[in-house]
Amino acid sequence: MHLDFSILPRFADALAYGLWLTVRLTLICIVTGGALGFLLALARRSGSRLLRAVSTVYVEFFRGTPVLIQLFWIFFCLPILLGVELSSFVSGVIALTLYTGAITSETFRSSLGTVGREQMDACVALGLPARVRITSVILPQALLRATPTLLSNAISLFKESSLVSAVGMADLMFVGQNISNNTARPVEVLTAVALIYFAVAFPLTRAVAVLEGRILRKLAV
Amino acid sequence: MFDGTRDQTALVRMEGLHKSYGAVKVLQGLDIEMKRGDRVVVIGPSGGGKSTLLRVLMGLEKVDAGNISFGGRPYITVRNGKTVIDTEVRRSIGMVFQHYTLFPHLSVLQNLVLAPCKVNGEGTASAKARAQALLDRFGLGARAGAYPAQLSGGQKQRVAIARALMLDPKLMLFDEVTSALDPELVAEVEQVMLELAAQAMPMVIVTHDMWFARNIASRVIFCAGGVVVEDGPPEQVLGKPIHERTREFINRVFHIRA
Repeated sequence: MHLDFSILPRFADALAYGLWLTVRLTLICIVTGGALGFLLALARRSGSRLLRAVSTVYVEFFRGTPVLIQLFWIFFCLPILLGVELSSFVSGVIALTLYTGAITSETFRSSLGTVGREQMDACVALGLPARVRITSVILPQALLRATPTLLSNAISLFKESSLVSAVGMADLMFVGQNISNNTARPVEVLTAVALIYFAVAFPLTRAVAVLEGRILRKLAV
Repeated sequence: MFDGTRDQTALVRMEGLHKSYGAVKVLQGLDIEMKRGDRVVVIGPSGGGKSTLLRVLMGLEKVDAGNISFGGRPYITVRNGKTVIDTEVRRSIGMVFQHYTLFPHLSVLQNLVLAPCKVNGEGTASAKARAQALLDRFGLGARAGAYPAQLSGGQKQRVAIARALMLDPKLMLFDEVTSALDPELVAEVEQVMLELAAQAMPMVIVTHDMWFARNIASRVIFCAGGVVVEDGPPEQVLGKPIHERTREFINRVFHIRA
């Protein structure tokens, strides 16, 4: 077997294009999915039974089905039901946002639970109105506590986003597969793609560990 | 709504307070009237309703029946089984808790200025100046930038007191504020409270420290079974209690200490 890694530089631009799409998709869905997840977490802890029921069913459904089928459904079924064409990028964003929302809502839910009742007592004793309680006391603490897990969620999303290649989005995975097929050099190309994913994800996982230590130290009361 | 027929010097008037957690009756018709100059120390066995009394007074707990007025104005009432709290009155009461309850994500200075800036709309500069002055007074001037996790228990509790004082309360509530502290840190917190007492700040204090109670109280209330059993000057309640239940309690407490 003869391995020739020198073919790779020719495809650097294509791979960079694929990585850029992967990164964009991930970043957008972290923000939209994170926002959705926070609202879902509030809904799951709300006093309204209806809100709790709807949000719970939603979260359980998206956690309980494969991301791949969710992607296919959004790509192929949603346009039929809505009667509108969606660009593949928009479909990808919608699908991964819905999925990330379900995952991060669990993260937010547990971090909201760690902001104790005593903090609420202090808020009341200081006369803080509900809006200030949430924005200045509950949310910052919940966010700080959730940050390490949210970053882990983001890293997972970065990797899981490779599934969009299955519906034809030209992300890093898709580009890599194409090059590998056209050059008939799967070992060189797919190894390179795996290393590119790793090169982005690994520093982030290290950053999570460092951040976790700092946050825990700061919030230890 | 000022009732002129009532004693105008009464700061707080609690009438017939009832409160239960499920089947457990914690307050069973509590009546206390507090005058403006009073520093009330509440003592009694655990489960006797002391902490609940403070939490109700702070508007943290609902009550089943009874009412509280503050400065002659209705503060907490029960209407159709629902507790109605006048939040404007509540803002003139400050409270310090056993477990500090500082905001861990904010520095000492930020802890102090949060409520004045967000609730009263005070300017940041003026609030920070007042906060710094207060911290200096409590010997914490150098710790303004520290986070709660970097402070000792005694420092945290002094910060918590300063935070409550930032809102210029007309009444301060202290719920076992030294119970969680290492013994050598108790004095620095009690010192701050004695200082407030010297400035005639009205207070209600729940404590197990009988020495401190005798030093700071203008009045001691012995609470047990959700009612006031004995109410009088510290020399009486702590020294020569009239009621048998008070005497039993005091003897037991001092016996343990001796």
